[in-house]
Order: sequence, then structure tokens, then C-alpha cells
Amino acid sequence: MLRRILLPTILIVLAYGFWISPDFKEIAAGVSIFLFGMLTLEEGFKAFSGGVLEKILQKSTDKLYKSVSFGFVATAIMQSSSLVSVLTISFIGAGLIGLTQGIGIILGANIGTTTGAWLMAGFGLKVNIASYAMPMLAFGVILIFQKAKSLKGIGYILAGLGFLFLGIHYMKDGFEAFKETVDLASFAVDGFKGLLIFVGVGILATVVMQSSHATIVLILAALSVGQITYENALALTIGANIGTTITAVIGSLSSNIDGKRLAGAHFIFNVVTAFVAIAFMNQIISLVEIISDAIGIASDNHTLKLAVFDSFFKIMGVLMFIPFINKLVNFLNKTIKSSSSKSTTGSDNARYLNDSVLELPSTAMAAISRETKHLYENSFEIITHGLNIKRRNVVSSMPLDEVIQDSYSKSPVDINLFYVNRIKGVYGQIIDFSTRAQSAMTPQNIEVLYKIKLANRDLVEAVKNTERLQKNLVKYSNSANEHIKEQYDTIKKDLAELLRNINIIATTDEEDVVLLLLSKAKIHTEKYDILANGTLDKLIREGLITNEMATSLMNDSVYSYDISKHLITMAEVIFTDMNNLNDEMYLNDGDISEILNKKDEL
Amino acid sequence: MSIKKFIKNVQSSLGLGDYKVEGKKKAVKELLKKLLDRKRELKKAIEKASDKKNLQEELEIVSLEIKKGKEILSKLYAKKIKGSKNGK
Repeated sequence: MLRRILLPTILIVLAYGFWISPDFKEIAAGVSIFLFGMLTLEEGFKAFSGGVLEKILQKSTDKLYKSVSFGFVATAIMQSSSLVSVLTISFIGAGLIGLTQGIGIILGANIGTTTGAWLMAGFGLKVNIASYAMPMLAFGVILIFQKAKSLKGIGYILAGLGFLFLGIHYMKDGFEAFKETVDLASFAVDGFKGLLIFVGVGILATVVMQSSHATIVLILAALSVGQITYENALALTIGANIGTTITAVIGSLSSNIDGKRLAGAHFIFNVVTAFVAIAFMNQIISLVEIISDAIGIASDNHTLKLAVFDSFFKIMGVLMFIPFINKLVNFLNKTIKSSSSKSTTGSDNARYLNDSVLELPSTAMAAISRETKHLYENSFEIITHGLNIKRRNVVSSMPLDEVIQDSYSKSPVDINLFYVNRIKGVYGQIIDFSTRAQSAMTPQNIEVLYKIKLANRDLVEAVKNTERLQKNLVKYSNSANEHIKEQYDTIKKDLAELLRNINIIATTDEEDVVLLLLSKAKIHTEKYDILANGTLDKLIREGLITNEMATSLMNDSVYSYDISKHLITMAEVIFTDMNNLNDEMYLNDGDISEILNKKDEL
Repeated sequence: MSIKKFIKNVQSSLGLGDYKVEGKKKAVKELLKKLLDRKRELKKAIEKASDKKNLQEELEIVSLEIKKGKEILSKLYAKKIKGSKNGK
């Protein structure tokens, strides 16, 4: 109900605002242009995808100190923390970086903004970003019409930045009348009350002007002519730091869930830092005095002391937050949830497939690979249920003889129901997503994607074969005939061993361990094939099992063999990353025969 | 001299060559080192163990992997030599 009336209400309020105030029209247009700039910028970054941009970004943000440095350098160059925040949200929205790296960039950007205060206080300089908007738009649009993908990408980035600057410019223009009425001298108040009032004024001024730099210019101007006290100027700086997060919040509106979480992180970081600064204001002022004296700033040079305060306050905030980044990420993941992640049917859905990365081949491939691992986890669980063994026992170091004795359930589990709920939907979504993603991929990428699709099919086949195997496995595991019981227990044990080894392969980084376990699994699959090794012939010949049992065992040994084959093939594709050595280093059929023949000779 | 030729000359003089091949060579060397260490440990373990069957099987697999790794490495070196001859 609320949603139905929300949009018309917003439209009516906007229309009324446009009718009564030309300034409001300009502000609203500024916000719209700003948001459009974000979309254009995202298009630009997507044009550079295909691996190169992702790699540069991943390399420059793969460690916390790198992402903090990246944020610092980018902000120092562009002189706008709001812009870096918006760019970071675009990177996240495009799937180029994760939330933790994004938060690192934001922390760095906060320190980067202090360079602006130093420039303004020390040299009276200010880079006016709005003046770059028009040439950027003109050059950008010309480049967008070029055929070359890279030129098109640069065009979109330039146009996107141009629109962002233009949007901020229109917002500022719209508020110009308001800005002129703000007389900082009229607010000069002493004590804690004054501190809170000026923090509030700082927030308001920055929200109105969409730029903490603009607020700081006002603060410095007022401070230099004695309109406000030094203490009030410090409070205004704290307020400006909170107000600047509003730009990131607006930017996150058109972004995906991670973009919204990043805006949340930005907001929490700036607000918490501001509270700490307010609480310890006197101590911080004393420290700023000591630092200023140490670096030779005159005691009456309040503008430079303000720059020292700005730097100290922001560096302190970053140092304070660094130990809690992972906790902050967990908190944001819990509190800001995607509306589409919950299923009403109780069935499982894809977790990593997001349409926003469809045009980013490397990122899309990574998403499909992660989703396949998700499908593997579901398949692993279902196969253990089908074998009537417990997953936690399989992944432990419990002896396999004990693993197969500790049953999961007294009655057979409905594998088909599990298949429908946990496999079918996710598998379908992976195939659908892969088909759409491959239109933006190179032939080499498509070749890799094809292998991943086959790995998914292997998982589905393994689950289906488990369902076929389950019936007789339950029946003969409790049979009075020791010989048939032994055979089915062996099937269970072999598959449990394979699942355990694949779990190790999935969780280790040691390439030699992966190679060894995959090779062993291949050899064991061939060695334990009772059709090939003569076990079945012997049981029939000696009359140890009935004809019916023999038929069942023959069919089920084929299912078991197929499950092993499918799981091994899947693991080779999904869990190995040996610089494309995979195919050459893996044992082939000839190698396996060679080892098996050697054993026979022994 | 064309730009492409200039870049090629700079690459060969700096020894940058085919960095993909270099990366692959490094990966194979590291893997071979691990496999050789494992082989040494397995041999020691076999001498002490009472049940040698499983260890013997692992030793055979590791030996085969080492053989394959060495073959890949020699192919990569051959590629490099061929590449540098063509460069000249």
C-alpha cells in the first residue's frame, strides 16, 4: 500500500516544488543530473572490463593498506571525497571490488580530503571541479560516438564525470540564495552548546552545498576575519565531515546492495568519528597545539591549525576503525539485506548471480564459478544424505568404517525433493545467467564458461545417480546376505572417501595436494570398479549372491562409478587454478592404466 | 622503426619476453619443488612403514607427476629459445 502511494506522492511534491520555486527546480535537476552521471560513469567502467581494469583495481585494493592508499591518492588528485565515494560505489555496483576494499577506499578518501584543507589554508587554492564539467561533457560525447571500445569507455567516463560535476554545480547554484543568507558570525556561541550548534551548522551547510570543501572555504574565510572562534571552526569542520556522507547516500540510491552498504559504512564511520571528536574535543585541541608547535605553525595562525586539526581528526578516525572493518562488514551485511535474496518457497536460489555484472566478462565468470561452488555444496549435502551418512562425519577425520556405520536417518531421505529444492533452481539460474553473460565474452572466455557449465551438469548427474543408487543401498545395507552387504558398504565407503578428498581439494591452496588427491581419486575409481576388477564375476560364479542381487549390484556399481567420474571431472574444473597447467598435469587414461598395470605386476 | 618493432626490441632487451610463459614456468618450478619434497618424504616413510601399499601408490603418482612437470618445463624452455632465435 505504502509503495503504491509513495511514487505518486513524490511526483506530486516535486511538481508542486517546481511550480512554486525556480531554485527547487534547479536543485532537483542537479540531483537528477548527478544520478545520471553515476549511471554514465558505470557504463564507462564496464567498457573497460574484460579483465584488465578488474585486475588493476584488484591489485590496487587487494590489501587494506593498498585500498586505503588508493582512496587517499585518488581523493588528493580529484580533491573530492564525495566523488571518490561515488566512484567507489560504481566500482562495487559493477562488481569490480568487494565491500571490504570499498570501505578501505572510503577510509583513505577521508584522509585524502585533508590535503584540500592544507591547500586552502596554506595557499588559498581550490580546484574548482565544476569548471571542468563542460569540456568533459563535450569531449566525452564526441568519444562516445567512436567505434573503438576503449575510446567509447573513456567517453562515458568523461561524460559521467562531467554530469557529476554539472549536477553538483546545479545543486550549488540552486542553493546560492540560501548560501548568501548564511552569516556565520550570527551563530558565534561559546561552550558545549556552541559546539553542538556549529556541528549542526556544518552538517546543514555541507548538505546544502553538496561539498565539504565549500563548507571549509566558508569556515576558513570566517575564521580569518574573526567572524567565528577557533573552537566554533573546529566544530563546523566536524559537521562538514558528517554532511559530506549525504552525497554518498544519494549516490547509493541507484547502486546495488553493496553500494548501499558502502554508503552505510561511510555514514557510520564519519558519524562515530565525529562523536569521538566531540567527546574528546579539549584533549584533541591540546594535541593539535603540540603538533602545531612541533611543525612550526605560529600560535595565532588558526587557519593552518584548523588544517592540522582536520588531518588529526580524520587519521584518528581511520586508525580507530581499521581493527573493526570486518565487524563493520558483518554488521552491514546483516542490517542492509537484499530484498530478492529471500525465497518464499523454502527452496534455494542463486546467491552470486547479479545482472549488473552481465557485461563484465571476468566478474561474471567469477560469479558463475562461485555459484557453481554453491551448487557443489548443495550437491555434497544431498549425496551424503543419499548415501545415508552424515556430512559432518565425511569432512572430519573419522575412520571411514565408522563414517558409514553412523547413519544420517533411519528412513530413506527423499532425494528428489532435495533435488527440486536445492539443485534444480540454482542450476537453471546458472545456465540462464551463463547464456546471457557469454554474449559479452571473448571466445577464450566462452571456452572456459563451457567447461564450468559442464561441471554444473556433472553435479546434477551425480545427484541424480545418487537417487538411483539410494534404493538398493538402503535395501542391501541391512541385508542378511553378508556378501552383498559388504559390496554395498564398500560402495558407500569409496564414495565417502571421494567426497572427503574433494572436500580437502575444495578447501586447500596446496597445488601438490590437489594433484595427488585428484590422481588418487581417478585411480581408485578405476581400481574399485567391480565390473572391471572381476569381483562381480567371482560373486556370481561362486553363488554367493542371487541373480537379482547381481543385477542390482551391476547397475549400482555403474551409478557409483558415474558419480565418482562426474565429481572428479567437476573438481578438476572448479577447484583448481594452476595457471592453466591443469590439462597437462592431470593423469590421463594412459597414465592411470600404467599405474594400475604396475600394481597388477606386483 | 615502427612502434611495434620498437616495443618488441625494448621487451627483448629488458628480458620481458613472453610473461605468460615466464609465469607458467615459475608455477611449474614451484609445483615441481613441492612434488620433489613430497617424493623424498614418501621414500623415507616407506622405509619405516609396515603397510607400504598406500604409500607406494602415492609415490608412483608423485613420480609420474614429476615426470610430467619436467616435460612441461622443458617444452617451455624450448619455446623461449625458439622465441629468442626468432627475435634475432
